[in-house]
Amino acid sequence: MAEIEPYESAMDAIPGAHPYPRSSRYHDAEIGVHRTADGTEVRYAKRRLLPPLGEEQTEDGESATHTVNAGERPDLLAQHYFGDPAQWWQIADANPVLDPHELTEEAGRDIRIPHAGGFPASGGRHV
Amino acid sequence: MSEQPVGRGPIHITLQTGPRLTRPVPPEVVEALLSAQITATAGERSGFQLAFDLTKTGALSRRLLPEGFFDPKTRVILSVSVKGTAEVLLDGLIVRQEVGASNQPGHSTLTVTGEDLSVLMDLEERTDRFPNLRPSQRVARILAKYADYGIEPRVFQEKIEQPPREQLRVEYQTATDLAYVTDLARANGYIFFLEPGPRPGRSTAVWGPEIRIGQRQHALNVNMDANSTVDQLTFAYDGTAREEPQARVQNPATRDTLLLPQPDIGPLRPPLGRRATPALRRRTLSGTAKKESEQAQAELLARAALSADAISGSGSLDVNRHGYILRPRELVGVRGAGVTYDGDYYVKSVTHNIRPGSYQQNFTLSREGLIARSGTVRP
Repeated sequence: MAEIEPYESAMDAIPGAHPYPRSSRYHDAEIGVHRTADGTEVRYAKRRLLPPLGEEQTEDGESATHTVNAGERPDLLAQHYFGDPAQWWQIADANPVLDPHELTEEAGRDIRIPHAGGFPASGGRHV
Repeated sequence: MSEQPVGRGPIHITLQTGPRLTRPVPPEVVEALLSAQITATAGERSGFQLAFDLTKTGALSRRLLPEGFFDPKTRVILSVSVKGTAEVLLDGLIVRQEVGASNQPGHSTLTVTGEDLSVLMDLEERTDRFPNLRPSQRVARILAKYADYGIEPRVFQEKIEQPPREQLRVEYQTATDLAYVTDLARANGYIFFLEPGPRPGRSTAVWGPEIRIGQRQHALNVNMDANSTVDQLTFAYDGTAREEPQARVQNPATRDTLLLPQPDIGPLRPPLGRRATPALRRRTLSGTAKKESEQAQAELLARAALSADAISGSGSLDVNRHGYILRPRELVGVRGAGVTYDGDYYVKSVTHNIRPGSYQQNFTLSREGLIARSGTVRP
C-alpha cells in the first residue's frame, strides 16, 4: 500500500514543473539534489539510461529502417518521421551513436527509426 | 496534413486491447477505426467511444467480432503521439457495443463504448467496516485492491483532520467502492479520478484536492486573428452557483448547538480571479448535528469550495493548430477574451475527438472570480 501523502505536498509541490518539457529526452530523467559541504542544494538531472536496444525489432517489427541519402541530417529525418525536428534524439537513441552527425555522415547506411507512436524508455511517474 | 491516414500523419494513434494485459491491435483494426471520442472530467469517470468501419467481408465482421475481440470487459489503451511526444489518453474497459448495419455499402459501423478502469470499482456492492481509520486511510485501503490492473494509488491526507474514535463511531461502507470513495472525496472537498499513463498499462488513482497552482499549460488564444488557437470560446457567469453553506453541530454532553464559522476556502481553492463572486444563496447542511465537529467542518468547507466556481467557459480547439494537447485537471491561461475573462482557468473537462485527418478537443474551464490576477499568462 502506497504512503498517504500529506495535504501540503499537493499544494506545495508544483505540478507539471519538471524543468524539462514533455518533448524533451530528459523529461523522464530523475532530478537529484546534491548537498554541498556548505549546505547549499544543487539540483541536477540524474544519468539517463538509453532504452534497451533491439526491443522494438522484436515487437511486431514496428521500427522502420531508413537508408541515408546524401545531404540528410538527423533533424530533417525527425521532421519527416515525427513532424518535429527537435525529436532527432529519438533516432539517435535507437541507433546508439555518440555523435548524432555519425547517423547521416555516410550515405547508404541503414538506420533504425523508432515507431512514432511509441514511448521512450520506461521512466518514473511524471508530475 | 489532413489527408494522411491514422498512423501516418503527424499525429499517431496506438491502440492496444486485451483481457487484462494488452497488446497492440492487428493492423485491420487500426485501418477500420473511423473515430475515437474520449472524455475526461475532473472528479468524474472518463468515458470513450470508438467507431469502426464494419465492411461485410472485412476481418472485423468475419473474425474479430465473433471471436470476442470487442466483448465487454476488454481492456482498451489508446495513446496518441503529437510531434513525437506520446501520451496515454485512455485506459479503460469496453462496456457496450453497437452494430449499425446499413443498406448502403460502407456505412455499417461498429461502435464500442466504455469507461475508464474505475468501472471495475463500480461492479460490486460491498459492505465493509473501517474501525479507527481516517478517510484517507480508508481510501488507500480500498484502492490497494486494484493493483493488478496497474492502478497506483496516490492519496492525500484530508485538509481537516478527522481523527477516528472507535468508541463513538465506526464508519461503514454499503455502496460500491467507487461510490464510497467518491462520497468521501466530496465530503472533504476533494476529487477522485483515474489518470491514465504515463506508460501504457499504468494509471494513477488520485484522491486529493484539485491542484489549482503551479505551471500553466500553453495559453489558449482567442480573437487574435492568425494567432488564435481556439475556434470558439464561450463564458458564462452564473451568479447563483456559489452558495454559503451553514452547519450546526451539537455538543452531545450539553446538547447545545453551535453554528460553525464560515471557513476560508483559500487553501483548498487558491483564487484564480481578482474579484471573487459573492455568495447569493445560503443553505443549511442537513444532518451535521449528528456528526463530529471535524466532520461537519470538513463538509462545510467542501460545500463552500465546490460551489465556488461561478464562471465557466467552454470551447473547442484544433490540436494541429494549437500544437499541444490540452490536458484536463490542470491550469491554463486564456488570452484575447477581454479584461474580464482573461487569465488563468482550471480545465474541468476535455473531450478528445480524433478521426483520420483531424484532432479536435472540446473543453470546459472554470474559476471562481472575474479579472485576471496577473498581467500575463504563460504563452
